[in-house]
Amino acid sequence: MTTSMSMGLPGVSLAPGDHICAFYRGSAERDEILVPYLREGLRAGDKCICVTDDPLASDSVRALAIESATDPDLAFGHLQHLYSESSYLLDGFFGIERMIGFWESAVGGAVDREGFGFVRAVGEMTWALSGLPGAEDLLTYESRLNDFLPRYPQVVLCLYDLARFTDGEILVDILRTHPAVLISGQLMDNPWYIEPDVYLNRHPEPTVASPTAVLDAAWAPR
Amino acid sequence: MRSLLVLGKLMTEGADEHQILMLATTAARSLARCTTVTIELAGETPSVGLLDHLTHVGTSGGSVGLPDTGWAWAFPLSSQSGHLGHLVVGAGCEPTNEEQFLLRALAQQTGGALANRRLHAQEQATAATLSVLNERLRGTVGALQHSMDIHTRLTAVAVSGEGQEGIALAVHELTGLQVAIEDRYGNLQAWAGPHRPEPYPKDSAACRDRLIARAKREARPLREGARVLAVAQPRGDTLGVIVLVDPDRRAGDQELMALEHGATILAMELARVQSLTESKLRLRRDVVDELLNGTDEESGLARAMALGYDLQRPHRVVVVEGPENTGDNDALFQAVRRAARDEPAGSLLVARGAEVVLLADTESDWEHLRRAVVRDLGDRRARMGIGERCEKVVDFPRSYRQAKLALRLPDRWERDAAAIRFDDLGVYRLLIGIEDLGEIDRFVEHWLGKLLEYDARRGSELVRTLAHHLERGGNYELTAKSLIVHRSTLKYRLQRIRQIADLDLSDPDIWFNLHLATRAWSTLGVLRAPR
Repeated sequence: MTTSMSMGLPGVSLAPGDHICAFYRGSAERDEILVPYLREGLRAGDKCICVTDDPLASDSVRALAIESATDPDLAFGHLQHLYSESSYLLDGFFGIERMIGFWESAVGGAVDREGFGFVRAVGEMTWALSGLPGAEDLLTYESRLNDFLPRYPQVVLCLYDLARFTDGEILVDILRTHPAVLISGQLMDNPWYIEPDVYLNRHPEPTVASPTAVLDAAWAPR
Repeated sequence: MRSLLVLGKLMTEGADEHQILMLATTAARSLARCTTVTIELAGETPSVGLLDHLTHVGTSGGSVGLPDTGWAWAFPLSSQSGHLGHLVVGAGCEPTNEEQFLLRALAQQTGGALANRRLHAQEQATAATLSVLNERLRGTVGALQHSMDIHTRLTAVAVSGEGQEGIALAVHELTGLQVAIEDRYGNLQAWAGPHRPEPYPKDSAACRDRLIARAKREARPLREGARVLAVAQPRGDTLGVIVLVDPDRRAGDQELMALEHGATILAMELARVQSLTESKLRLRRDVVDELLNGTDEESGLARAMALGYDLQRPHRVVVVEGPENTGDNDALFQAVRRAARDEPAGSLLVARGAEVVLLADTESDWEHLRRAVVRDLGDRRARMGIGERCEKVVDFPRSYRQAKLALRLPDRWERDAAAIRFDDLGVYRLLIGIEDLGEIDRFVEHWLGKLLEYDARRGSELVRTLAHHLERGGNYELTAKSLIVHRSTLKYRLQRIRQIADLDLSDPDIWFNLHLATRAWSTLGVLRAPR
């Protein structure tokens, strides 16, 4: 298995199993992280699964998809582009079980069925500020995702816009739920990270009584 | 410490002020066992109960008292730009030294991040202000540049002498709109752009006058329906109007500026043309005056040459007098100018008092020329006398004098009806040629002395009556009509003439001598009349 790979940013290497929170401010900084990350994945022959929330981000990813169709260097990998409405917020709500199930299906399918040796996933997280039902479970989801990461050869990059996520408490909790943090072009082990079992003990998961939890429970792994 | 490093990077690189404060307070709880964490910023009102404590500890920080708290400390938020406030932390008991160290480091890091963020915000505000100023400056420079372009383009037109057509074209190119230049009366002088109207529409004189008056009052471009116009008025005289055709009201500040500049250049052009015309007229008048008053050959030819006029051709001096007491000498001048142009009979002419003098360079049909003048004047009377041919410069004064005599010598009834050539004056030419007027005087006295004495004594008109009678071959009907008297009055007067002069009018010799004497009497009257 690969032990280290390029992220696409100068001097930044990824390790399989990384769950990274990347902080940026504005769409230009976002694209400086997002596009090289995906381009490097395509060049390396990875399966790239990208979920965007901002239409401008969609434009950047579509442009890369068009480029990959004609550039032989990028033909080794495959880019799957989805929107938050068809993934995180499918049917107008966010469900932790459903979303982890989605990753299970998408990443597992890429590795087991499509034969990709590695998967790069990236999600633009501004959907969590939509106020839609279940969005408040963002941090529980992020913590739970850490248990999913080791199951497949993959890296997950979560994009957080500091211009949109203005609550300092949430920022600290985002730090607590990601073992790695990317800021100002530097990828660091995150000393604020708390293992999922500890974090989830402090922040109990939602009860099954809430309507979204009922709907989400149907997606729980058997 | 790595925790602080990550936090510091997050604070410094991306977070805004509110995020920095929230990160600091949240992180403080993670770094030490705290029960209370607040940030009190300098310049803002502190939380209740903290004012005195914070004032007391100052910028270096220190212990503060918080209710129901075993230990409380204010860590200064310091930075290179000064003291920014305090991170106030409270706990049930005093934290360990390591925890206090981390809290102090956090406060320092927060102060640095805050200062950095404020400086960045200030720079952004300055940059935004500069951007606005730059935008304004760019707009001003753009407007100035456009103004200079307009000025340069129109100045080039003025200098190149492209005339009104050039001015119209330049304004059209600068505005993208159709441009018309009209004279004072609304007649089209130049057009630039597509779809030139045929025929060109023209307002009534009254409407035109009102429009010009309004435009002069406005002292800036005036919109009149689909047209925007500016008047060209050098020295206050309106000589022309420049018009933008703008039915869609597209003309903005730049277009109006181009129109105003165009009006200024047009005013200069029209003033130049007017001045040139006046100079030319003045020069022609000077040349004609000099020729009529007498000048030497060399000087006269040189001056005519400077005017571009060939004087070395035979000429005749023609004097035209218009209707008496009208005072409209300009109308007579223009009538003679047009008639002479159309005949053609010559182009060198001047107005002199009540008469117009033409130096005719062809042997025209003079009566045809006179009738053309009469028609131009609206069938009003015009008399014309033509002097003898001038072969040299020195001949002009003589020809001029002859033309004037030709106007006066024949009977008024006759001279009103035809152009009189001096050549055709017959016996008058002989009489004028006699240098010794005393000889003529004696001849007149011999034949008409008694009648003249009677007329002088009684205020009668016997000599004039006799002259009319003889000129009309003794026809009573024509004589009475020319004198505007009744036939019986005429008969009575002739009877008195026979008695006083004691002469027999039926004698052919006496008739001839009396006829010659009356013509000599007329000639003396003309020769002695003040000029």
